[in-house]
This record gives sequence, C-alpha cells and structure tokens, in this order.
Amino acid sequence: MNKIALIVRKELYRVFGDKKMIMGLYVIPVIVTVAIYVLIGKMTSVMTNDIEQHTSLVTIANATDDFKDAVENSGFSQNAQINYIDDATYADKKASLDEEVKNSDMDLVVCLSADFAEVADEYAAGGSVMPGMDIYYNDTNNYSSKAYSVFNNTVLETYKNSLLTERYGDVDYLSVFNINTENICKESMANTQFIRMMLPYMVIMLLFAGVMSVGVDAIAGEKERGTLASMLISPVKRSEIAAGKLIGMAILSSISAIVTTASMVLAFAFMGSDSTLSGIGFGGVSFSALQIVELLLIMLALVLFYVSLVALVAVYSGNTKTASSAISPIYLVIIALGMVTMFRTGTDTPTYLYAVPVYGNALAVGDVCSGELTLVNFLVSFVGTTAIAGILTALVTKAFNNEKLMFNA
Amino acid sequence: MIEINGLTKIYKLSAKKKKELKTNKNVKIAVNDLSLVAEDGQITVLLGPNGAGKTTTLRNVSTLLTPTKGYIKVNGHDTVKEAQKVRDSICFLTNEIKLDEHFTVDYLFTFFGRIKNLDDTTIEKRKKELFETFDMSDFKDKRIEELSTGMKQKASIVVNLVNDPEVVIFDEPTSGLDIVTARSVLDYLKKLRNEGKTVIVSTHIMSEAEKLADKVAMIIGGRKVIEGTIPEILAKTQTADLEDAFFKLYMENNCSEKGDKDE
Repeated sequence: MNKIALIVRKELYRVFGDKKMIMGLYVIPVIVTVAIYVLIGKMTSVMTNDIEQHTSLVTIANATDDFKDAVENSGFSQNAQINYIDDATYADKKASLDEEVKNSDMDLVVCLSADFAEVADEYAAGGSVMPGMDIYYNDTNNYSSKAYSVFNNTVLETYKNSLLTERYGDVDYLSVFNINTENICKESMANTQFIRMMLPYMVIMLLFAGVMSVGVDAIAGEKERGTLASMLISPVKRSEIAAGKLIGMAILSSISAIVTTASMVLAFAFMGSDSTLSGIGFGGVSFSALQIVELLLIMLALVLFYVSLVALVAVYSGNTKTASSAISPIYLVIIALGMVTMFRTGTDTPTYLYAVPVYGNALAVGDVCSGELTLVNFLVSFVGTTAIAGILTALVTKAFNNEKLMFNA
Repeated sequence: MIEINGLTKIYKLSAKKKKELKTNKNVKIAVNDLSLVAEDGQITVLLGPNGAGKTTTLRNVSTLLTPTKGYIKVNGHDTVKEAQKVRDSICFLTNEIKLDEHFTVDYLFTFFGRIKNLDDTTIEKRKKELFETFDMSDFKDKRIEELSTGMKQKASIVVNLVNDPEVVIFDEPTSGLDIVTARSVLDYLKKLRNEGKTVIVSTHIMSEAEKLADKVAMIIGGRKVIEGTIPEILAKTQTADLEDAFFKLYMENNCSEKGDKDE
C-alpha cells in the first residue's frame, strides 16, 4: 500500500510540480469553458434582446380602415414601421418587395385582397366566404419570423375577434371547453430544461476528456520514453504499479473534471441569472446534499471506468500516437452515448440499462438533475460501472506483466 | 552471484517484425542455450556484435524478460519465481531505460530509494556519497530534461545505485558518453567490483572489455562461443589480443551459421 501511495504521489507531483502542466490541464480548460459558456449566454441574450427591440419593417397593401384600426389597437404598430400602399402600387412593387423580404431588407409584406372590405363585411353579417390575404415573410431571418409571429398573434387575432363578435355577438360562443391550464412542476426544475438535458452529456464527455489528457501520457508516453521500465525493474509488484498509476490518473482527471464542472456550474449560474436566458431553459439547477453525494459517486465510478479503459488502450499501444488514434473513436462513441441520453422521452428506462457504463451513468446523472433517481437505479449504475472498471483494471495489471507489450519483446 | 543456466530466449515474430527483419521464420532465437556464472567481486563482460543477444541476456537477468528455456539465479533467487527478491538486490542500467524527464535528480533519487525500501536517513547518506562521487551536486535540482546526455547517464547511474545493490547489471555502460564521463563510469564499476559486488556488463568495445573484465564471455548469434579470463581466451584462440580473438571466433561462427543457413 505504501508503494502504491508513493507512485500516486509521484504521478500527482508530475503534474503539480510543473506550472506548464497545471496551466494546460486545469487553468486553460477552465478559462476556455467559462469563456465559451459566458459568451454563448451573452450572445444568446444580446440576440434575444436585439430581436425583441427590433422595429419591424412592414408593408401592408390594400388595408381597410377597419384593418388599420386593428393594427393600431393591437399594439403591433408600436414596434413596427408600417408602410401602407394601395393595390396598384403593390402590383408594381410586388417583385421588388419579395426580393426585399428575401434579402432581409423588409420583414413582412401583407396584401389584403382587393375586395377585402366587402367580403369582411359579408362575413361579419353571416356570409360564408372568408376574407383573404397573402402574407410574405422570411423564415431564415429572425426579425422577419418575429414580425410574422407578432402580426399573427396580435393584429390578426384582434381583427378575427372583432369580425367574430360582429358575426356571433359574443366570441365566447365559439369556445367549446372551459380550460384552466396550470403548469405544475418542481420548483427546482422550473426553467432548467436546457441544463438538465446538457449536464449528463457534459459530465460524461468532460470526464473522459480529463482522463484522456492524463492517461495516454502516463502509460503509453512512459512506455515510449522508456521511463516505465525503471519502475518495472524496481522491487515493486506490477499490480502496485498499475494501481498507483490508475489511482494517480483517477485523482488528476477527477480534479480536472471537478474544476471544469464547477466552472460550468458557475457559467450556468451566470446564464441562469439572466432572465432572458432563464426563460429559455438556462435557469440554475439546485441540488440537495443527497443529490450531490449521488452525483459525486456516479462521477467517481465513471472516472474509474474511464481510467481503466484508457489505461488498457494505452498499455496495449506502442506509443502515444497509436494510443491517441485508438482512443479517438472511443471518445466519439462516448459523445454519441451522451447525446442519446439528451433526447430521452418520459417513458421508464429499464433498470438493467443503468448498469451499462457511460450510458447508464448519463441516465443516472440526468435522473439526479430531475430528482427522479431511485436507490435501485443508483446502485445498479454505481456497482455496474465499478465492477466493469475492476475487470478492466485486472486486465491492465495483467498487461503490465506481459513482456511483449511492455518491451515489444 | 549470477548463475545463468541454459538460457534460451525465443521471440515470436509478428508479420510486421518478419517484414522488418526480412525473414519468413515465425520465431527468432535471440539467446541459445547460454550458461554463465558471474562471480562476486568480479566484472564479467559480455562481448559481442550488435544483435548478438547481450542485451536480451541482461534483460532476462534483470527480470524484465522471462527465459523461454533454462533459468537464472541471482544470489540464489530464481528470476522468474522470486522476481521481487531479485529486483531488491540488482540495478540494471541501460540506455533503453530512462529517468522521467519531468523530475529532478534529487526527487527521483529519493523516490527510488523509498521504492527500494530505504529509510530517509539512509537515502540522504547515499545521496551525499553518490552525488559527490559523480560530481552531481550542482545539477541535482535540475529536471532530467534540462541535463546533457552525459549528465542524464550519470543521473541514471546514481539513481539506480541508491540502494547499494549487490549486483550491478550494465548494458553498454559508456554508450553516448564523452571520454571524461565514460572514464568516471568505468572507474566506478571497478570500485564496485573492489567492494565485492557482482558486476556484469555488455559491450562491443574491445578496449573497454580489456580495461574492465575479470572474465569475458563472447556471444555471437545468441550463442556463447567462449568464456574465460582474457589470458585464457588468448591462449585458447592463439591470438595476440582480444580483438583478434573476437574476429577469429566471429569468422568461424559466422561462417558456420551461414553454412547452417545454406543447408
């Protein structure tokens, strides 16, 4: 045990005794992570505010007085610059207006039919023909989409209600159901959809990135440089060398993951404090003490699995280049597994799937975030992943005794 | 004492290796039925051309490799069955085994001292003694990556000798060293011999063998072709010096090997 501790200390000192390695492994990733998320948050916020504050450029052709009143009364005109034109002008300019919408120089073009006023009156009086209009907007332009959406929800809604009121006397006659809608959710989960979807994916991806960055060099790099052999001819068991290496890697990558996760939580908290972003699912997630313990244990099991997996690949590789090449597709698989859990539906996931490393861990982390992790699923995830990590560790130890692998003999 | 008895080491060749070696054979016999005894208080030199099997022999002695046939005992301990005990009493120096470049000489000396079960007082005592002997006090706090090739070699020697091992195994001791460092290394090997240690060294440099060897074992094509003191070898081969003896034996064995292959 004492020798394992010595090897672990050496592995830690290799990183913490070198400012460049500390910068590369811990400081720069944190700065980059925080910067990326803060930037995403800021840009999303700026974009949302910009769209909100944008004055829509709208052309309405053939507008009747009633329709103009509806535009005014709906409040649409407060944040829109409206150009009313007659049918003849519209006929002349139609092609150029279409082009302006395509080029995002115009947000919305509405053209009421030439007989709109008469048809609307007839409809209000009980006629069967509905008044018609053409609406042109550009779905690829956020300003145009917003103008269309607001026009639909305000002007058309207002005008529709006024026509229906005239026709039926009371628009409520058209209602079939008396609906009282209430969104009931846990307080901790309100406005956290985005984070709950992203956190499992981020956790499993960042943990692997942390392990990958230290694991390849700690084993394949040392093999390649001939420094591992100096340990192998020392009076220390191969199992102790393997254990020391793996524990060292686990500690280093856990610190990396914790630092990165903490920086992400900070970034999310920053994003959650922005009411605009909170509204679209960036709200801050809060955990109870039990949830934090569950989360840490799931992450610990996952780190052990990752460390043993990366160590096994590294020990079977002749050098860091081969090891990195072999690990890259594994990283892609892990990213894919993380992404699968992002799009879970509300259906129950079978318990045995929680034992599948990576996938099961992502499920468990997702459940922790939503407060739905059962004790059975937690234990299946933790024990399953740890057991597989144990098997991989045994294979790593066996590989340390293989002279063909260690000395290319 | 090192007792090598019928050591045979056969490597299985992968398709890639076969291509590299330009051979159709599935195996390579690196060492073939080699027996040898390296006594305490003597320097035993394995002399042979590159690829003769010297390094493979030393790797087997140092427990890094397992013999395909035969056995090796170091101070009475079998290198396979009692590998840990063997590792307790040996140091193996070779260019292929390097010190981790991220650490200082001082750190690695203490680390390997602790790994080799020494207490901190003994480690500090050995550190003072060896750093002075190899004139390393000035760069003990430098990282290995900052040292020159000669300094790295010295650092490697010093770190490996931390536990004052009874058996010193040295593969090509002066390879890559400048003349001054090479001299100090050879002098230290003689000092170890005089202290009663078992020293076994491989080299292909005749002058080095002549300066060091109490006993020489010439290895050609994985086989030991002669063993004895230098005067004994000269007498047996009826030659004037070690180089002549080597070439005579090399021609005889190389020709016979070629003859074997032709058959």
